Amino acid sequence: MLEDIIAAYNEAIFDTDRDRALKVVHDAELRGVSPEDIVFRVVLPAMDLMVKSISENLDANLAQHFMTAQIADTVTAEMIAKFKKAPEVRGRVVIGTASGDLHSLGKRIVIGCLKARMIDVRDLGVNVPPERFVDEAVKHHAEVIGISAMMVHTARGENGCLRVRELLKERGLENKIRIIAGGAPFRFDRELYKAIRADAWAEDAVTAGKVIVELIQEVRS
Amino acid sequence: MITGMDRLVAALKGEMLDRIPVFCNMSDQGARELGMAPREYFSRGEHVAEAQLRMLAKYGYDNVWSLFYVGKEAELLGCKKILYAGEGSPNVEDFVIKTWDDVEKLAVPDELSAHPAFVEELKCLNLLRAGVGGKNPLCAYITATMTLPALLMGMERWMELLLLGPAEVRDELLARCHAFFVKEVAAYRKAGADVLIYSNPFGSTDMIPMKYFIDHSLPWIEKDIKAAGSQGMVYYCGMARFNRVIDAVFERTGIGVYYISPLDDVAEAKRIVAGRGLTCGVINDIKLIDWSKEEITSEVKRIIEAGMPGGRFLFGTGVMPFAIPEENIRTMLDAAYRFGSRGARAA
Repeated sequence: MLEDIIAAYNEAIFDTDRDRALKVVHDAELRGVSPEDIVFRVVLPAMDLMVKSISENLDANLAQHFMTAQIADTVTAEMIAKFKKAPEVRGRVVIGTASGDLHSLGKRIVIGCLKARMIDVRDLGVNVPPERFVDEAVKHHAEVIGISAMMVHTARGENGCLRVRELLKERGLENKIRIIAGGAPFRFDRELYKAIRADAWAEDAVTAGKVIVELIQEVRS
Repeated sequence: MITGMDRLVAALKGEMLDRIPVFCNMSDQGARELGMAPREYFSRGEHVAEAQLRMLAKYGYDNVWSLFYVGKEAELLGCKKILYAGEGSPNVEDFVIKTWDDVEKLAVPDELSAHPAFVEELKCLNLLRAGVGGKNPLCAYITATMTLPALLMGMERWMELLLLGPAEVRDELLARCHAFFVKEVAAYRKAGADVLIYSNPFGSTDMIPMKYFIDHSLPWIEKDIKAAGSQGMVYYCGMARFNRVIDAVFERTGIGVYYISPLDDVAEAKRIVAGRGLTCGVINDIKLIDWSKEEITSEVKRIIEAGMPGGRFLFGTGVMPFAIPEENIRTMLDAAYRFGSRGARAA
């Protein structure tokens, strides 16, 4: 039964059909599938399938990423409220767009994906000064700072990731906090994350969720 | 003496004069050329025109751009706040549409050329037209109906409205954006623009699934081009890939020039266009910031060798980030002139 549910849910996600995806989830509940199984055996595998299809260069696109995150976020919030016990938080992240950057879509997709992965994520909004990234990360015990930049000058700018790195170094936090960067310029220059001294980057916002989990594990190990 | 316009006209006819046309977008570099801060530079059409003409003379490429920055279109529709950057393009800071109710209030100006935000663009176009005297194609940038809402409400809200509705709000917004698009095209043509860059990231399957493109995006593209005419239109998806849709766009609109993504396969694009129009091979200009002289030369060579056989080809750039060193711009252009020359083809 679960296999049919997973297949139907995945198909709805790839068709960017939110209503159909939610119906699959609610029908599954009625058929006795637990809220925990819906999140961990349907929603998360669908997200991983999206990551796989992206890595294999199949027909995955921004609209599908958006819907994957949007639906995952909605379903996870609804199901967590019905969990027998509160799920364990797998890590903490603060995320925002780089100083001077007002493009929020990528950040929103990452946030939706992280919530479904049981990551506690703080949205710092857009045009975030470097000091605030670090201050908020410390305040919320975040293992990862996510910096989204859609323009070359905000990705490479001195008040973006470069300054965040300097601040982490100045405050002796480099072993406790990792930086991940993402956004359009990084797709056109795959080495750019190194130039701006981030620890990692992700090709797209759905994949970023997976990479962030790996960074959290790295910090915790 | 052969001009940029001669080269473009020849390429459109499947012929080649001394070399292929080379198009370069130097919007971000204009302020530096005049030694001005971006806010001052973009405040007057005279500044933009002067910088574009200076750079045309300095570098010798074939086109001139009238584009100030993409957010200018949002200003024409009511945006009051632009965020300027020292080393990059200005951005829309305050969105015109904040709630769905704002869609009904969105007013398309009756007379675009009388709008204060367009007056400076008109000045620029007039000066450019006079400056090039028909010798170089004068390019204008126009955001497609399907993409314009992103400038008015942000990409995040637009994606939400597009995919999740309410459908009647989405359709009303698109109808208003289309009305604006048609007026904008007419205004640019009246002002003498020869080439209209029809910019539409939502015309790419990097943005939306193919089915969604066919069902929703293509009908609006068709409507745009039917209303405005395909003369001088260039299909461009803001650096996103679109080889998969070229056939459908050509059949439904007749657009004859395809300004592909640096991430698209140039040779494949040429095969798909199949002599029906012009293909532009575009360099990944973000890499121009750090590439060595050898890497730049090699990449230009690769693009031109993949696209030039069979003719009907030009070489172009994307948005040319401010951070590209001047010598790298020169290296790219020198390589394009060299490998795109008639002699290189014969060799």
